[in-house]
Amino acid sequence: MKVTDIVEKLNLKVFSGHEGLGAEITGGYASDLLSDVMGHAEAGAVWVTIQTHRNVMAIASLRDLSAVIITCGEKPGDDTMTQSNEEAIPVLGTDLSTFELAGRLHAILR
Amino acid sequence: MRQIRADLHIHTLLSPCGSLEMTPREIIARAKARGLDMIAISDHNSTLHCELTVALGAKAGITVLRAAEVTSAEDVHSLVILPDEAARASFQQWLDSRSEKIPHNPDIFGDQVVIDENENIIAEIKYFLTAALKASIDEVEAAAHRHGALFIPAHIDRPSMSITSQLGFIPDDLYIDAVEVVGRTPEILYPVIRNSDAHIPEHIGRRYTDYMMESPSFGELAMAMRGESGRHIILADA
Repeated sequence: MKVTDIVEKLNLKVFSGHEGLGAEITGGYASDLLSDVMGHAEAGAVWVTIQTHRNVMAIASLRDLSAVIITCGEKPGDDTMTQSNEEAIPVLGTDLSTFELAGRLHAILR
Repeated sequence: MRQIRADLHIHTLLSPCGSLEMTPREIIARAKARGLDMIAISDHNSTLHCELTVALGAKAGITVLRAAEVTSAEDVHSLVILPDEAARASFQQWLDSRSEKIPHNPDIFGDQVVIDENENIIAEIKYFLTAALKASIDEVEAAAHRHGALFIPAHIDRPSMSITSQLGFIPDDLYIDAVEVVGRTPEILYPVIRNSDAHIPEHIGRRYTDYMMESPSFGELAMAMRGESGRHIILADA
């Protein structure tokens, strides 16, 4: 499944990183502690979080993640989106909570 | 120039997690007994016990700096040490404007009371003080420096509520005056200090930092953190 497929199925907003929408998703990871994601998220995973700080993009790049989904209607800052465009790692958004979004994501990735 | 011993991270009973024994009077007595020259009062997202402690410290010959341990939106704790009473009052207004006002339950989190010099309760804070402000760490840093304060990410080597746990690493475009550590001195580009983070009287001064400076004051501390005019941090390993 590609990033663009989950954008469609979960009705996600695409904030930035459009060039990466064709990337393959191989799993998911939900966490708001960047130190935890840095240590444990696997390459190709889509990361679900409410953190919007620009460090999110550095960690996503470091772990070679396929996309970031920001939950609860939170919005990334300009610096986060700029880095997302540079790295071609999409930042997506939803009004759903992490719990709701992760449940739906898990169901379609299974 | 002389060696000044300072513990710049002490909670009072105003913090929900602060023991009710942590009255300004008790803190000053303990600081004196532990040989501290200078302390900072740093309650969670509040500066309301600073003035009383400053006054009691002046009588006892201990310099008390006004501070707060601020929780930014990422759940990162940072110390903001303010230069004077005018800056404190203004920074308190900024804190009030950014707090979430989540109703506080003292049975679960502990009391949040302000007392006077006779240790009578004069106010009780009804919202949970430790909750994250509606302000990112960039906004907290900017507000601190707008008030002429020192901005110091707290206990950066702890696995929770620290800049490293929440953000993975220290963003290089934050203006950081120093970092506070609990354990060993990291190899890091920022000045490093240690403080007790005391919530009970017995912990006051359990960690501290020595500074080479003319006298215990905010201005001298700022110079020591910048390494100006011979002032500096005397770094002992943990």
